Amino acid sequence: MSYNKSEEKLKREIFSKRDNTIKNKDRIIAWPRMGRIDIPLKAIVEQLNSRYVIPPKNSNKTLEIGVKNSIEGICLPYKLNLANYITALDMGANTLMMFQAPGSCRFGNYTTMAYKTLKKMGYRFDMVVFDMYKNKMKQTLEALYHVTKCKNPIRYYRAFSLAFSKMFAIDEAEKQLFYYRPREIKKGESEKYYKKWLKITEETNDIKEAKKLKEKIKEDFKSIEIDKEKSVPVVYLLGEFFVLLDPFTNMEIEKTLGDSGVEVQRQIMFSGWLEHVLKPSFIYKQESHRQRCERFAKKYMKRPTGGETIETIGDTVYGAKNGIDGVIHIMPFSCMPEIVSQNILPKVSREENIPVLSLVIDEQTGKAGYITRVEAFVDLIKRRKRESEKCQNQETP
Amino acid sequence: MKKETGIPRALSYYNNYPFYKGFFDELGIKVILSDKTTTKLINDGSKFVVSDTCLPIKVFMGHVNNLIEKGVENIFVPSIQSIGYKINNCSKIRALPDIVRNTVKKKIRIIEPVLDKTENIGIFDFCTQIANSFEIYDKKQIKKAMENGFSYYNNFLMMTQSGIPYIQALNNSLDGIFEKKNIELVRPISLCIMGHGYNLFDERISLNLIKKLEKMNIKVYTSLDVPKDKALFALNKTGEIQYWANELELTGVAAYCMQNKKIDGIIALSTFGCGPDSLMVNEINYHAKDKKIPMIHLTIDEHTGEAGFVTRIEAFVDMITRSKKQNLIKKQELKPLIKEKQTEIQAERYKRDK
Ligand code: SF4
Ligand code: SF4
Repeated sequence: MSYNKSEEKLKREIFSKRDNTIKNKDRIIAWPRMGRIDIPLKAIVEQLNSRYVIPPKNSNKTLEIGVKNSIEGICLPYKLNLANYITALDMGANTLMMFQAPGSCRFGNYTTMAYKTLKKMGYRFDMVVFDMYKNKMKQTLEALYHVTKCKNPIRYYRAFSLAFSKMFAIDEAEKQLFYYRPREIKKGESEKYYKKWLKITEETNDIKEAKKLKEKIKEDFKSIEIDKEKSVPVVYLLGEFFVLLDPFTNMEIEKTLGDSGVEVQRQIMFSGWLEHVLKPSFIYKQESHRQRCERFAKKYMKRPTGGETIETIGDTVYGAKNGIDGVIHIMPFSCMPEIVSQNILPKVSREENIPVLSLVIDEQTGKAGYITRVEAFVDLIKRRKRESEKCQNQETP
Repeated sequence: MKKETGIPRALSYYNNYPFYKGFFDELGIKVILSDKTTTKLINDGSKFVVSDTCLPIKVFMGHVNNLIEKGVENIFVPSIQSIGYKINNCSKIRALPDIVRNTVKKKIRIIEPVLDKTENIGIFDFCTQIANSFEIYDKKQIKKAMENGFSYYNNFLMMTQSGIPYIQALNNSLDGIFEKKNIELVRPISLCIMGHGYNLFDERISLNLIKKLEKMNIKVYTSLDVPKDKALFALNKTGEIQYWANELELTGVAAYCMQNKKIDGIIALSTFGCGPDSLMVNEINYHAKDKKIPMIHLTIDEHTGEAGFVTRIEAFVDMITRSKKQNLIKKQELKPLIKEKQTEIQAERYKRDK
């Protein structure tokens, strides 16, 4: 045991080669882009009185920079993160926040690699790692203190409650969007609502107001006119964490599906995940998402094996048992945990009787590479749904 | 239940077989090995999994298939999750039993013990799980079997570390022979190969790389020559940490050889689509460049042709030989040059004096 501990200590030392030479007032913080994570993070950093820069949204240009500066065979999320860092450093940042994913996959290794790559490129910066593996509130606070040097506990309280409220608001807006997009009568209306609410969420800085956001969003979306008669199949979107949460990386598959009349549901949501990571387990009384997945995946997988494999399998089974019409599984090319899922899913699909489509996101082929397959899949689930509805109607004359 | 188990000749077989064999023998369980890897076996295995899966897993599936064809009912598929606190294996190795369960259609019984040091599931629990699935519950018996396994395993390690080739050491340890090799041949060039044991010692996957190099009169260092603790120490000395469970076979060995052996180059052998390898090779590349040690990264998949593979190795070895010769010549040429100059000067002086 003692050996393990010293090993762990060494790891921490290497991971947190912190640079204390940067003066506090000169610190400019930056973090990688992933979906709309910038809104809550910005709230935290602003509340703690620090300066920051936000690199532009992920785009083809980001990808280009990332590909140019990283080795072959490394996965897509790393390339994008690295590119974000490079642009941020060029924009004047000197403190980089890095998040380690909960699945403890290659990401853990990435921090050191990104660190070395950037140093070799001649940048001077401080990299602070936020290890998001099982409840780590204390470490998170400590790391935040390191970058902001803010000593006021009330500010921390404000920062976190604001960030959480915003996150819940974003997630709510997203859920509403998923529901209304396939049903709306005027095309594009729900998306307008969504954008509007994102903007409002971003601008709200009052805690009380922020807490009300979620309810307000729910109410507001109700004014969208929908086609109540329309039969809308529901699809679960599952797969690798980063790809799921970053619209550029998944090439806006949610929009594609919504526009073709399919309701998307995503089980991995920001707030759910962060809550699980940050809150100590004794507060977290209900069964967490992961536990539920482990329970449902039992028949196929007996153990979590890194990444989001168990979530993918567990949710597929859960969906099949709860009347979901299909599952779309997305993963970046060469993602190790999701290759495991990809190998297991055909059997799950067969035995649970739920259609599954696996999409490998490959930066070279782009959207054209999969659009026909998605269309065919949508046709398939629509047909299945119609048939099953017909059957039901016949049974109950 | 039949007291016999099939062990696929792939993945953890290559590093741990002496242990498994010793353990099963003592428990009175017959071990049936699958045949050696062949192209046909790989092709059969590939049919089970999606094409993006890495070669070693396809090979593993091929061996499972081979065992099924032999009519074996129990197949030993361990899930080695982590070998130290948060030192995890790659997902595919961790999920091995799950992959087998969900891709093989035929009804088989999978012996799937878990080793997970992060969750405090140690080697004894691992062994207990195996024994329990054969309805053996006596703790003393399990302990004894474990000791037997370790004694086979330690002999094997000692032999390989003294320089005995893999196959010979393996056979010796299984037969209970112990020998040591003390004389080391001095060879003009020495290289370090970093690669997973299951790639390197599988003659089909590695296309017999070690033998090929030895034929070229090259001394080869592999993970077998370096004890684990020394590899770890060397790795930490370079400022890196052990992140992957099988990291020491690659980065550890390379780091050790760079620090302690006079190697002329590093060969990284990995399979196409391997996640951890791409990172580890990059890591060593970074340090090798600092030390000006040439390095080559060979990636193989099931379609890699022998001819092209050999050409690449030969080119690499040629390059090393050439630069070595040039260095030698440079050193030797300097001296005679000076002498010649001196004699010239002396001659001139002689003339003048006259
Ligand atoms: S889960 Fe996949 S994409 Fe994410 S770090 Fe691991 S291999 Fe890369
Ligand atoms: S470590 Fe690499 S070669 Fe080995 S199973 Fe994992 S991905 Fe495949």
